[in-house]
This record gives sequence, C-alpha cells and structure tokens, in this order.
Amino acid sequence: MKEALEKNQDDVDALFVLAALRVLAGKVEEGLSVLDRVLRIDPKYPGAWMFKAKLHNMQGEPEAELSARRRAEDAER
Amino acid sequence: MSAPADVMKLKICMAGEAAVGKSSLIRRYVLDEYDDRYTATLGTKITKKSLTTKDPNGASLSVNMILWDIMGTSTLRELLKEAYYHGAQGILAVADLTRRETLVELDGWARSIRSVAGDIPTFAVVNKTDLEKDRQLTHAEVEAFFRHRGWPWSYSSAKTGAGVEDSFRGLVERVLSNRE
Repeated sequence: MKEALEKNQDDVDALFVLAALRVLAGKVEEGLSVLDRVLRIDPKYPGAWMFKAKLHNMQGEPEAELSARRRAEDAER
Repeated sequence: MSAPADVMKLKICMAGEAAVGKSSLIRRYVLDEYDDRYTATLGTKITKKSLTTKDPNGASLSVNMILWDIMGTSTLRELLKEAYYHGAQGILAVADLTRRETLVELDGWARSIRSVAGDIPTFAVVNKTDLEKDRQLTHAEVEAFFRHRGWPWSYSSAKTGAGVEDSFRGLVERVLSNRE
C-alpha cells in the first residue's frame, strides 16, 4: 500500500486500504477523511459508499449513514 | 424475430485466503490469460463477464456476472464485509491444493459473507491442480469437507485453465436453481 501511494498519491485502491487501516487503528475520523478522498477521485469505487455508511454508523451519524447507503444502492445499480 | 432473452445481473463474491488464486481464476475465466508473477490484490476489483446459460426450466438466459475480487486479508474482512458483500448472490470459495489451512479458512469467509448477504449459494474450487507434486489435501479430505457443508465443488488450475470455466458455470447454475 505504501509503495503504491509513493508511486501515485491518488491510487484509489491504496487509499481505500489506508482508510480501512486508519479505522482499524481506532481513528474513524481519519478513515472517513481518506475515504472521502477516494470518493472524490472515484465516486463509484466498489464498496466505498457502503463502507462510508458503516463509518457514519460507528460515529452515531444516522442521517449521513442513510445518505451514504442510498449512494451505495445507486452506485451498484 | 425471436424475443430478446432475459438478462440477469449476478453479484458474485470471491472468497478465500491470500494467494489461493482468486484473481488468477478471474483473469483466466474472463481474459483466458495467466501471469505467473503474484501480485496481491489491493482494494477491490470488479470484473464483468457475460454468459448465456439455461435456467432450471431449460429456457435460454443471459447472465451478466459482476465478479468482486477482494483482498484475501482476514484482518480487514470483518471491517469491510458490508462494503464487499452487500447484495451478493453467490460465493466462489477458493482453496489452494498445496496449503491445507486454506480449506479450513473457507468457513470463516463463508460465515462473514453470509452474515451480510444471507444464506446465498456457495460453489467451492480447489485451485492449483498443476502443482500436484506439492499437494497437501487428499481427495477424501476435500470431499468430506465440502459434503459436510453441502457445497458443490470442483478442481481447477488457473495456470492451465483446467476446470476454470466449469467452476464459474457451476456457481451460476447453483444460483439460478436456488432462485426457483
């Protein structure tokens, strides 16, 4: 992942993994921030909206969760 | 002029430990290519494949498979399971003939997927039959494992192509028969 980001700081695959690793480390806010960057680069990145919905749920943000969930349904349609 | 056939969209999730050959199976199936260099999948890869098959009533059916290839990293699996498995309709569970533990680990993968997608059909593949000399799993072990779980299974080699098409088709047929 680090190698991929050194080559290209906008590598969405590596950024998606980085977001997940930040969350695993207990830094959900940072994870969300990286995930938002993924979605700015590729709004249809597979699974990213559903992951964002989960993170908002973890943060106790039901409206943001629902919004992300709707985007997930649209993206996979 | 004949009526256009129905087109069904199927989300299929690949399951299995790192380096069992999930990405190589997709590459062989979709592109009929193989690359000996191993590159771990980073993030999520989506590949589409259309095929024509018959539904359980014998009618022609066009299927658009959406193949979700994910990292074989157990540590991220629980965190990302909703992201990956939401809406999945079938599981292609892949074990490696040369690593015994990859068979046992399939239970964890199937459990994770089913916790999100429900009791969806699973088809299992024991990959790398080209490495027979390094085999760690006997036919009897493989059969006992999959029979106990009620999963149809086959052997494959992404390297030679043997059994690859049959595995994907086997899963599609199982998904379709499950919908009846």
